[in-house]
Amino acid sequence: MAEHTVIVYSTDWCPWCTKAKDWLTKNNVKFEVHDPEKNPQYGEELATKSKQTGIPVIDIDGHIIIGYDEASMKKYLEIK
Amino acid sequence: MTEIFDTIIIGGGVTGFSAAMYAGRLKLNTLVISAIRGGTIILTNDIANWPGIKQTDGITLAKQIEEHALEYPEVKVKDAKVVKVVKTKEIYEVQIEDGEKFQSKTIIFATGTEWKKLNVPGEKEYTGNGVHYCALCDGYAYKGKTIAVIGGADSAAKEAVLLTQWASKVYIIYRGTKIRPEPVNMTRVENKIKEGKMEIVHNTNVVEIKGDGKRVTHAMLDKPYKGSKEFKIDGLFVEIGHIPQSQLAISLGVNVNKKGDIIIDRGATTNVPGIYAAGDVVDTKFKQAITGSAEGVLAAYSVYEYVRNEKL
Ligand SMILES: Cc1cc2nc3c(=O)[nH]c(=O)nc-3n(C[C@H](O)[C@H](O)[C@H](O)COP(=O)(O)OP(=O)(O)OC[C@H]3O[C@@H](n4cnc5c(N)ncnc54)[C@H](O)[C@@H]3O)c2cc1C
Repeated sequence: MAEHTVIVYSTDWCPWCTKAKDWLTKNNVKFEVHDPEKNPQYGEELATKSKQTGIPVIDIDGHIIIGYDEASMKKYLEIK
Repeated sequence: MTEIFDTIIIGGGVTGFSAAMYAGRLKLNTLVISAIRGGTIILTNDIANWPGIKQTDGITLAKQIEEHALEYPEVKVKDAKVVKVVKTKEIYEVQIEDGEKFQSKTIIFATGTEWKKLNVPGEKEYTGNGVHYCALCDGYAYKGKTIAVIGGADSAAKEAVLLTQWASKVYIIYRGTKIRPEPVNMTRVENKIKEGKMEIVHNTNVVEIKGDGKRVTHAMLDKPYKGSKEFKIDGLFVEIGHIPQSQLAISLGVNVNKKGDIIIDRGATTNVPGIYAAGDVVDTKFKQAITGSAEGVLAAYSVYEYVRNEKL
């Protein structure tokens, strides 16, 4: 599988974020977590990229996915 | 030859996997088809009404029930959205989004519900920027801010209490005369009111959401609150109930009530032979994980009797 740069904007609390992280792990995708609650800079980054504040937001090689959306994650990660 | 399942359970929430757990115990060849495993329960981090577990969170409980069901080799899962169910002779044919079809002697609908939206101007425009549907997800962005939860049921009260850990003030805006959470959550609300962190605005509807083009700034009310219909607010969390996902069942001739809830009897049986339903999608008054789980088990047992009789 090709390497992808994946950033998950998520907090410890957020259930859809946990689901997204679990899904990526299950599919052997490496990702970095940017927690906007712990680091306001990530909050700004998230708002700039997604034009909103809701999480999770998943950045896959610059493609921005708002919310838990398996179909879009599969598409940008080229998972069948 | 195509495999014919004893039952296909549509929905992978607590209800669907409870039904699957019991179907597995009863050695029924079972397929769970689920759009999103876990379902609604994952939205709460505080569950204190599951017997035997004093306190847990939704994700953990959902995972435990799913893992329990998958202990049985008879239970399989397909992560997909069902788009069509038809009856061909005595067999039900279930079609998922990519066109793949599965066959089964019976169907258990455990499809739950979807968010009810406010359907007011500004809601769509400001979704994610002041209009939210998941307190646990998006509450973090309101540290020190003033927000409102719209709704008056138990889940709205729970969300409002949760949000006080970030927000400086949480309003509950409710169209009725008295909010109706469970007593334990009512006490929590009352305590927050005493602390000055919460206030309830009764008999009031939000009719429009306004902002500065980027974020929500006001909610327009249908009657004045403290002299004005313009309610200054940083964010709104909508928790006004849910819509039953019963369209697929209706297409098979299953009876529903006025709200669209599937009508079942005490065995979780519908009016259509071989079709069962359980959980938030059915016409019970009190909808909780434990009630959905129990109905799911009843549905599995009814399937067992149906399939067994069919073999005789
Ligand atoms: C904020 C909040 C707090 C709550 N707190 C508690 C609590 O503390 N204790 C408690 O007991 N209950 C609580 N509840 C209620 C509880 O969450 C529900 O009663 C329960 O989760 C219902 O489960 P279900 O499996 O019937 O439906 P759902 O959880 O809605 O699951 C439906 C499933 O069906 C799937 N589905 C739907 N349509 C299709 C389709 N066409 N194809 C494939 N799959 C489909 C969905 O993806 C999902 O997997 C709370 C609810 C909320 C909103």
